[in-house]
Amino acid sequence: MLCKICNKNPATIHIQEIVNGEKKSLHICAECAAKKSQSDPVLQGFNLAEMLYNLSGQIDMTQDEEHKEELSSAEPQNLLVCEDCGWDTAKFRKTGRLGCAKCYQVFREILTSALKNMHRGAMHVGKRPGGENNREAGKLMLEIMNLQKELDELVQREEYEKAAVVRDKINALKNNG
Amino acid sequence: MPESENNVEMLLSNKVSWLSDSGPEDDIAISSRIRLARNLEGIPFTISADPERLANTMSAIQVAIRKAGCFNLPLDFNLIKLKELDRKVLLERRLISREFVAERYGAGIVVNRDEDIGIMINEEDHIRIQALKPGFQLREVWEAINAFDDNLGKELPYAFDNDLGYLTSCPTNVGTGMRASVMLHLPGLVLSGQIYAVTQGVSKLGLAVRGFFGEGTENLGNLYQISNQSTLGESEEQIVDRLSTVIRQIIGHEKNARQALLEKKQEFLLNHVGRAYGILRHAYIISSEETLNSLSALRMGVDMGMFSSVDIHTVNELFVIIQPAHLQKYAKKELVSEERDVFRAALVREKLRTIDKNA
Repeated sequence: MLCKICNKNPATIHIQEIVNGEKKSLHICAECAAKKSQSDPVLQGFNLAEMLYNLSGQIDMTQDEEHKEELSSAEPQNLLVCEDCGWDTAKFRKTGRLGCAKCYQVFREILTSALKNMHRGAMHVGKRPGGENNREAGKLMLEIMNLQKELDELVQREEYEKAAVVRDKINALKNNG
Repeated sequence: MPESENNVEMLLSNKVSWLSDSGPEDDIAISSRIRLARNLEGIPFTISADPERLANTMSAIQVAIRKAGCFNLPLDFNLIKLKELDRKVLLERRLISREFVAERYGAGIVVNRDEDIGIMINEEDHIRIQALKPGFQLREVWEAINAFDDNLGKELPYAFDNDLGYLTSCPTNVGTGMRASVMLHLPGLVLSGQIYAVTQGVSKLGLAVRGFFGEGTENLGNLYQISNQSTLGESEEQIVDRLSTVIRQIIGHEKNARQALLEKKQEFLLNHVGRAYGILRHAYIISSEETLNSLSALRMGVDMGMFSSVDIHTVNELFVIIQPAHLQKYAKKELVSEERDVFRAALVREKLRTIDKNA
């Protein structure tokens, strides 16, 4: 399916809105989504779209084609290339996909804030490949993360005594794990 | 007949277990599904791999699947060797994604004969495992797919990062690589005009709502698929629990809506269901949209005890087999849209007549 706005790039973002009980769909590419998000305040309220805009916004800081070329030649960090698979920023922006595992390191800067917007955290706390040992490690990490969250909240509420107890718990878990 | 094609015929003679078996809350929850995205270490993702690489990856995965012995009765499909119609049959049975219907090199699936668990090879990720069970039992699906993934993981080195978890081609899947969903039948909420509030609420909780037949098809048959969006920062169990809590609430709302219709708008409800049954029993030309909406009304009627003679699983099965590719396989020839509408009406009449005779 092609992007409904530019009719050139494949549509990678599918937005659905319900206005007065009537459903409206919009299939667009990341580039047009970035442009549209600047011009259409209504769309900014849309959760999924918002996080995708943030992703494309991170990658494409410029607003038009000419500008982009200028910027990419002036600032080489905008044209990252993965040496393992040859994937680059442009391909990432166009498809929203990465080319290989290594790309996660190559595009880390772009990804870090995008991932935060897409997900409920920046760290994997689920299953790990292979055996019970790893699963135990996963549980431990989950526990540490939950305590860390509690600690942050306590610090924010300025309940420092309680916070110190939680901090000690975290340290103990880290040392034993 | 080549193996892949033969296997499609075998599926067609099968009853889909997640539609024809009973499960908890299956008057409202049709099925529970989980998929896990996995990639192989040291091999470029599908999107950046050349055809030779894709072919090698596919055979490596197929060998590992055999070695792991994770299927009771595996059926192999090499998608490029299938006709488009056969690929559409797989799509209509929810065994492959829409992207897999297009001709793609190195694309394959392996499915358990019961269709309760399967693997897509070289889709967006090298491996997409999916498991399905009837009714609302996400926990059980997770246990099944988790064990399956453990087995397969012994044979294949997965691309995994200590901080980011399982690495996927799309960053929206990274971490657990898990998408869990429940298919809900919500005619009560639709008829009482509450569905909008429910779907809005669900979206606000960071969960996605889709129709059975893909994005934007929620109005077909009142079928709603609710799934998690985020995959990082929460464990698989947490995702399952969070989703389950919301699903339980929606099921409660749907029950209340049906009860309220029964108490306050009984004629309206009986008329809605009765007319739908009349159409399905006696129509000679029927579009898929009208069929799905009538089936939805009939299903609600059966759930609420208005048709003791109609079997809920036959109604479920009809949701799948009245789709275009299935109809053409049953007819054993290509049918244009108008011909399908006639054939569909005959198939539905026949199925419902058989049920009535059994009563």
